[in-house]
Amino acid sequence: MSKLTAAPLQTQVPAPRKIPKKPLLKRLTKGGFIAALPFLAPALAAYVVFVIGPMVSAVRLSLYEWSGFNADPQVFVGFQNYVRLFTQDPVFWTAMQNTIIWVLLSLVIPTTLGLAMALALNRPIFGRNLFRSVFYIPGVLAPIAIANMWRWMYNPNYGVFSELAKAWHLGDGSGVTFLSDPKLAIYAIFAAFVWQIAGLNMVLFLAGLQSVSKELVEAARLDGATSWKVFRHVTFPALRPTVVVVMVLTIVHSIKVFDLVVGMTGGGPAQSSQVLALWSYSQSFLQHDFGMGNAIATVLLAVTLVLVIPYLIWSTKGNED
Amino acid sequence: MINPSSPSAAAAQEKVITDFQAANPDITIKKTNRAVDAHKDALRTSIGTAAAPDIYDFWAGPGLGGELVKNGASADLSAQYTEYKWPERFTEAALGPVTQYGGYHGVPWKLNGEAMYYNKALFEQAGITEVPKTMDELNDAAAKLKDAGITPIEFGGTVNWHVMRLLDTFLEGYCGSDTFDKLVTRQANWGQEECVTKSFTNLQKWSKDYFNSGFIGINNDEASSLFFNGKAAMALEGDWFNAQIKDKATKAEDYGVFPLPTGTGRMYGFEQAMYITKDSKHADAAAKFLDFMMSTPVQKETLGKFSTQSVNKEVKPTGTDELTKSWEGIFADAKGLYMNNDQNLTQSQTTEYWRIQNLVATGSLDPAKAGAEFQKFLDSSK
Repeated sequence: MSKLTAAPLQTQVPAPRKIPKKPLLKRLTKGGFIAALPFLAPALAAYVVFVIGPMVSAVRLSLYEWSGFNADPQVFVGFQNYVRLFTQDPVFWTAMQNTIIWVLLSLVIPTTLGLAMALALNRPIFGRNLFRSVFYIPGVLAPIAIANMWRWMYNPNYGVFSELAKAWHLGDGSGVTFLSDPKLAIYAIFAAFVWQIAGLNMVLFLAGLQSVSKELVEAARLDGATSWKVFRHVTFPALRPTVVVVMVLTIVHSIKVFDLVVGMTGGGPAQSSQVLALWSYSQSFLQHDFGMGNAIATVLLAVTLVLVIPYLIWSTKGNED
Repeated sequence: MINPSSPSAAAAQEKVITDFQAANPDITIKKTNRAVDAHKDALRTSIGTAAAPDIYDFWAGPGLGGELVKNGASADLSAQYTEYKWPERFTEAALGPVTQYGGYHGVPWKLNGEAMYYNKALFEQAGITEVPKTMDELNDAAAKLKDAGITPIEFGGTVNWHVMRLLDTFLEGYCGSDTFDKLVTRQANWGQEECVTKSFTNLQKWSKDYFNSGFIGINNDEASSLFFNGKAAMALEGDWFNAQIKDKATKAEDYGVFPLPTGTGRMYGFEQAMYITKDSKHADAAAKFLDFMMSTPVQKETLGKFSTQSVNKEVKPTGTDELTKSWEGIFADAKGLYMNNDQNLTQSQTTEYWRIQNLVATGSLDPAKAGAEFQKFLDSSK
């Protein structure tokens, strides 16, 4: 790894040559794409019917006014639902703000926590497998069960935080009202989300850590690098693909968060913990305004695509040609 | 159907079906029970599709049952009313809600009243010697209970409509019946009525000082346990609560009930009806079952399980317990009915009503601005 070996190597590497793109037909036939098509077709058909179809239908319905009743005609109203949504809906911007807060916090807290747990449990410590299982279990539980569990924990009459407050002589515990406070409710639900998803991130990071070259780590240590420097210059760069996957999955999980909010507050108090996915559902199925519900769903789709498309481009780049 | 309010009500519901099938082996009844919100949701989604039931249980008010009638979900049962002589069977009060949309939509199942249940010992402990008869006395009673270190009233706030009962009561009490009706039918301006501000101000006072702590983050079952355990003195509930008290409380005689002291003489309540779906392929069998369900023998057998009064005029309360007798008085003295506002308003209006109610209840909105805020929504919606 000295300059003496690096210089000749540079001279041996030819300058990158721009490879002209092959015609589409050739690219399609390359690698047996045509042969693979029959195998891909069932999944592709299901994808079109169950994913693309509803998406197109949602965008179309967002331009209509419809109560959801079969007998009630769908009336084309153009962008009127979007105008109402952006200018008159008293909850939309709260839901949008909460969704953004949720995504941003998710990108920091459960990912960092997952990485920290993975680094700790990647070492040969006592009870490592037990810890891995314990931290991973919340990730496989049904979100609605998690919501109920955390709601009980937050209960101001008998919840764990209320009991702790009593044990620490901080009053009778009834003042512990995380889910009742419009300013705190969204963060109280988010805590349950962190508990649910950090273990899942940990597993992904643990898988990523297996790809980190042990030789490089050893070499860095032999060169006298500290643990932090090894992590910063060797481990983390090697984990970069995993980080991207975790980030994208976290964004997707965050944007569509629904069950936890329904189970813990239903969007309350006073819609203060409302999120876009739940508000879309509420408009459609509770208030029976399918036009507005689908307008929100379309906004959600647009936000998701803006965040996820860069990843898709990045991840497919390596597979071209 | 909507989940029964108590185990004994659930058992009674099952028995009605079993008895009917024994007498009519050619007809099969399949019952699906759901929680209140899940029922609203599932029904609206399935109605008009092949998944729609033949009979659906729903609230008769314009914002709920009325919406389904308006959208062609319910069959006009005029022919069945003639065939089974139902107009002669039901009380006038029970027939009102099913005839309000023209024709006959739905068969009256139960007419429920809502009032204030109270714990006698806790009232006595707080020095309250008589049940409140005016809004001021109700406010005084709550203050006395608080001063005595007792939680005056319990509410679970997660699904909104329980707290709504108190706000509706304040609106009826401070605005009077005429203005109340004008407000809910959009003939009066919520932002310009002083009584609306007074109602929201009182709601904020009650939620801050008199509700169980953290009410808005817990559900009604959790809150009701405070009442059954003697930790809260009052519960604003419907007459179905009698059965719950008998099922859950140690001694039913420890509890009493008094009409909401709004001063208008109207009883707070609503009706639930059994509707036959417009597209039902088994409308005859459905009508036969409903005829059986609301028949005199069945209504006599189930009286007290779902409500204290029957919709069948031949069926009179026979209970001798104090709660049942109190309800007889409340129904007999009622000069009309004012309905829960989630029945009066449309679903989107109700959602906004609850949002504003909860903003005020949690101290996040000035009560003086609440009426105008709601009116703004009404003006912007259709």
